[in-house]
Amino acid sequence: MAGSTILEARNIYKSFSGVPVLQDVHFEVKAGEVHALMGENGAGKSTLIKIVTGVYSKDEGQIYWEGKPVEINNYQDCQKLGVACIYQELSVIPPLTVAQNVFLGREPRNGPFIDYGKMNRMTQELIDRYQFPLKPTTVVDNLGIGQRQLIEILKGLSQNSKLLIMDEPTASLSGREAEMLFRIIEQLRSQGVSIIYISHRLEEVYKLSDRLTILRDGKNAAVLEKEEIIPAKVIETMIGKVVDESAGSKKMLHSDDSAEVRLDVKGLTDATDRFRNISFQVHIGEILGLGGLIGAGRTEVVRAIYGIDKAASGEVTLDGKKLNPSPRASILEGIGFVPEDRRNQGFIPLLSTTRNVALTNYDIIKKNGAAISDADELDMSRRAIKAIDIRPSDPDKQVGVMSGGNQQKVVLGKWLMRDLKLLIVDEPTAGIDVGAKDEIYSILEELAQNGVAVIVVTSDLQELLRVSHRILVMRKGDIVKEFKNVEVTQAMVLAAGQGVEQEAEK
Amino acid sequence: MKEFNWSKYSKPLILVAFVVILSILRPKAFLSLNNFSNVLWSVSVIGIMVCGTIFVFLIGGIDLSIATLCAFTAVVVVEITHLLGDTPVAVCVGVVAALAVGALAGAVHGLIITTFHIPAFLVTFATQSIFLGLAMVLTNNKIVSCTVPAFTAIGAMKILGFPLPVYFMLVMAVISWFILRKTVYGRYVYAVGGNSMASAISGIHVKGVSIGCYVLSGLTTALGGIVLASMTQQASSSTGSGYTNDVITAGVIGGVSLLGGEGTVPGAIFGAVLMGLLNNGLNLMSVPSTHAGLVKGLVIIVAVAFDAMQHADQSKKKARKVKKRGESV
Amino acid sequence: MKRLSQTAMRRLISIGMLLVLVALFTILAGFGQGKFFSSANLIEVVRDASVPAIIGVGVTFVIITSGIDLSTGSAMALVGMTMANIYEYTLLPFKVMVLIGILVGLACGLFNGIVIAKLHVPEFIGTLATMSIYRALTYIIAIKDANGVIKSQPMTHSQYVWLGTGVGKFYYVIMAMIVIVLIGQIVLKYTRYGTNLYSVGASRKAATLSGINVEMTQLIAYVITGFTVAVGAVFTTARLQSATTAIGTDFEFNPIAAAVVGGVALSGGSGDVIGTTIGALFMATLENGVRKLDMNTSYQYVIKGIIIIAVVIFDATYKARMDKKAKEQGAKEGLE
Repeated sequence: MAGSTILEARNIYKSFSGVPVLQDVHFEVKAGEVHALMGENGAGKSTLIKIVTGVYSKDEGQIYWEGKPVEINNYQDCQKLGVACIYQELSVIPPLTVAQNVFLGREPRNGPFIDYGKMNRMTQELIDRYQFPLKPTTVVDNLGIGQRQLIEILKGLSQNSKLLIMDEPTASLSGREAEMLFRIIEQLRSQGVSIIYISHRLEEVYKLSDRLTILRDGKNAAVLEKEEIIPAKVIETMIGKVVDESAGSKKMLHSDDSAEVRLDVKGLTDATDRFRNISFQVHIGEILGLGGLIGAGRTEVVRAIYGIDKAASGEVTLDGKKLNPSPRASILEGIGFVPEDRRNQGFIPLLSTTRNVALTNYDIIKKNGAAISDADELDMSRRAIKAIDIRPSDPDKQVGVMSGGNQQKVVLGKWLMRDLKLLIVDEPTAGIDVGAKDEIYSILEELAQNGVAVIVVTSDLQELLRVSHRILVMRKGDIVKEFKNVEVTQAMVLAAGQGVEQEAEK
Repeated sequence: MKEFNWSKYSKPLILVAFVVILSILRPKAFLSLNNFSNVLWSVSVIGIMVCGTIFVFLIGGIDLSIATLCAFTAVVVVEITHLLGDTPVAVCVGVVAALAVGALAGAVHGLIITTFHIPAFLVTFATQSIFLGLAMVLTNNKIVSCTVPAFTAIGAMKILGFPLPVYFMLVMAVISWFILRKTVYGRYVYAVGGNSMASAISGIHVKGVSIGCYVLSGLTTALGGIVLASMTQQASSSTGSGYTNDVITAGVIGGVSLLGGEGTVPGAIFGAVLMGLLNNGLNLMSVPSTHAGLVKGLVIIVAVAFDAMQHADQSKKKARKVKKRGESV
Repeated sequence: MKRLSQTAMRRLISIGMLLVLVALFTILAGFGQGKFFSSANLIEVVRDASVPAIIGVGVTFVIITSGIDLSTGSAMALVGMTMANIYEYTLLPFKVMVLIGILVGLACGLFNGIVIAKLHVPEFIGTLATMSIYRALTYIIAIKDANGVIKSQPMTHSQYVWLGTGVGKFYYVIMAMIVIVLIGQIVLKYTRYGTNLYSVGASRKAATLSGINVEMTQLIAYVITGFTVAVGAVFTTARLQSATTAIGTDFEFNPIAAAVVGGVALSGGSGDVIGTTIGALFMATLENGVRKLDMNTSYQYVIKGIIIIAVVIFDATYKARMDKKAKEQGAKEGLE
């Protein structure tokens, strides 16, 4: 089915502030194929796509469209060629109808007026051609996420796009919505539309793709034809065949069973079914890793433990005492929480390091009557800055203007100033440079040595293996696997999270 | 390499420039102690009010009911004083009652806004009408005068040459500054205004903090109403009309962001004083008060547009950096 | 599975609220001649609603882009006073006077648009500032009597007086409202510009990606508001047969309240002109009905405020419930 090459990127190089992100990458999409793009976090997938769609400029290399060299500098260039990107954060306009969205800014007109008849007909034709479950006149407000995504696709198709780029399209879809999307992808392929499909989910990639390009550490790791796409092989290629202890692809887990139970979660169940019947324990001085794919329900579980969201049923006890589900109560009991969405939930951008570090700790900062002791507050801030090397070390610096790594240190720093019993960190190093990562790992390890129980939620397999003493893997709202006192590899964790049987390991 | 930090020094510089210009244009009239005390007297009500409403601005809210709540509380204190026989005790009861009414009004605002997640703008717009009506009901839509010495003293008594309201303003500013700068509650107010989600995760009771802000705003509005009634020796449903704009303008000029999280009491007081100087200057230049709005309006637009331009510059620079370095923001 | 769309539901609710209010006042204030529910009074209600509804067209456009305009009352006064000056001091014909009035309205709108769209001053602060600017300008150009005291300027030009009347009880202002509301609704629903307004209000990012000029869309919305303000000012002065500096005092909240009651979300991206018109009728009914209750005028303000709060709370809880339902539905159904 697949025909001539439609898009080709040759010898692409890109580095950010001297750090190479893409090195000599080749990428080629044929007409009418579904081409999957895979790789671990940080392998360079999204950078490559951003270069192809003109968001980033490339340092070296050349992009060819239907055999001719082209320059793509912005999204408009991209559209002109016939490339459409289906955004993760949907860009449909809810108060408008399906047809209005599809033809936004290009409405067919009759004099000054929009020709709704024509527009709806044109939309209907598109819908019929690709058999989308949509009606041109439905207001988008009343549609689910899955259908909104289809509108985005339709919008791309209405501009005669020959190539659609889908970045984690199923991330926020329900099972049935995803099924619908897969059917439509098949449909599009049979009509000769090419699709670049970026996903972490192996099962989807096996099911859909004609070819698969795997990136590893910014380089081409492999291009696999359909018959070569075998789960074990893909996982091996993504992680790298060299099983090297220091690279963190393999680890012997050790649990100290004599340590007392600190946190006991029993039968925790979500009101909207994002997780069910979750039970586990964390011991004193233990770092428990929670692995699994994005959307597996890990964040929801730890939010419920900390008390941000209330679980429908279940019980959480800390040192044998039942916890009240509220952040305030959790903090007073000795729980710390570092949220996943740092920018929106982690810190107050307008405020200084001092104010951010002190925010949860005013119960332990000295006061003269009602007045906070500025000296004591500043002292705490200085201690935090020193303890975890926050830069700039100016305690009055606004946190909003700092680098991601230092922002995260501020978020973490405030918990280090308290007597913690349990620290929950959700994706602690997302978007953070390598140096800061290592520092954060050693902070977590030190905390554990001092008897704090730590829960680490992370999608970074290397990180999961590196910090965890014990690993639980979640999949679709359930805990599906525990790794304890065994030798574990990234492949085993990945396979468990993907729901792939264990043939990956020998 | 050190860039001149405009935003840091612009405020005192503007004040100085203003004083200099007025001293040159109207040296005799402007540079007298009497005039100085006049300026302070006339800004005192705005100053008192902005000390409380700044809390509402800091959490990203707004209060459109300032003027009519001011009228309502002014009427309450005067009517109660009359009702209880114009004695000093009656004045005290009236003052306490008016403050209670202000606090209650603020509590109602806060409760409705936080419980139903309705824009503060709409709620205070509606209550504005309610307070106006209540003030009219209590006065039968007439002007009620009150010349009880114990009451008029509030506005007229002078200590060390300055009228009492100036001291009220200073005391309120100190209290407000103390709460915002020194107490845990103040820290929480900035946190909630800066990022309410992160605040909630940090264990802050966001709803309680917000309601508190509206209560404080109601309290200072009531105090402003009492002082204004005492200064003018009367109260009516139109007492304090125009003050909503003046207070918001003082805040905005003083660098208080209506989006929340930014602003200080000294800044707001600066805004009030600048408004006073502006009014006084225009007055000395024989510009009628009805025309002052032109200058005030332009001042706001220039101040905010200047601020917006600086912000835009920064974000543009940042965007360029992102494109080059590929940082995820 | 036929369900009413949320927009249709919202429309039914605004109409329902209006009818409930009418019924309420009919019971409380009676019907028959001179009472609330009489043909003469109901026409009076519609007449009162006309100017807020006309200006509501522009304000709706602005609010749909997630903006706000607090300067409409002052701009009205400025337009009125400009025309009064022409009437008093020149011999220009009536039509030219109205034309200049409309130009002044457009200029006010343009200035608002520049302040907000080009200088990026937040809508609320920007129009609050222009509100005092336009009012001050009104005072500056106000006509004074021999003692230098500002006076109310009578405008009794025959054509002007004519404009304040109508065909029988079918006032011209009502006709103008119907025409402008219909044009507004057509622009909103049947032109690219209307679609752009919704897009800008719902998601600036998505609008920009679709090649829509966000700043221009905003700016034009303010200019259109300026136009409707001028029309409103012409009819208001014609009805009063005079221009004063007090015209439009506290008026600015009327069209905004009308829009909110009529289902235009202040967060932008939803609602329409017809909704605002129903809202304007609601507000006019409220004002008129309370007046007809034969109670102290003071209570009118109290009742008005309470009803607005009640409506807004009802609206917020209803919307929260619908959102929750839609979310659950979406989660459960997925695709059909």
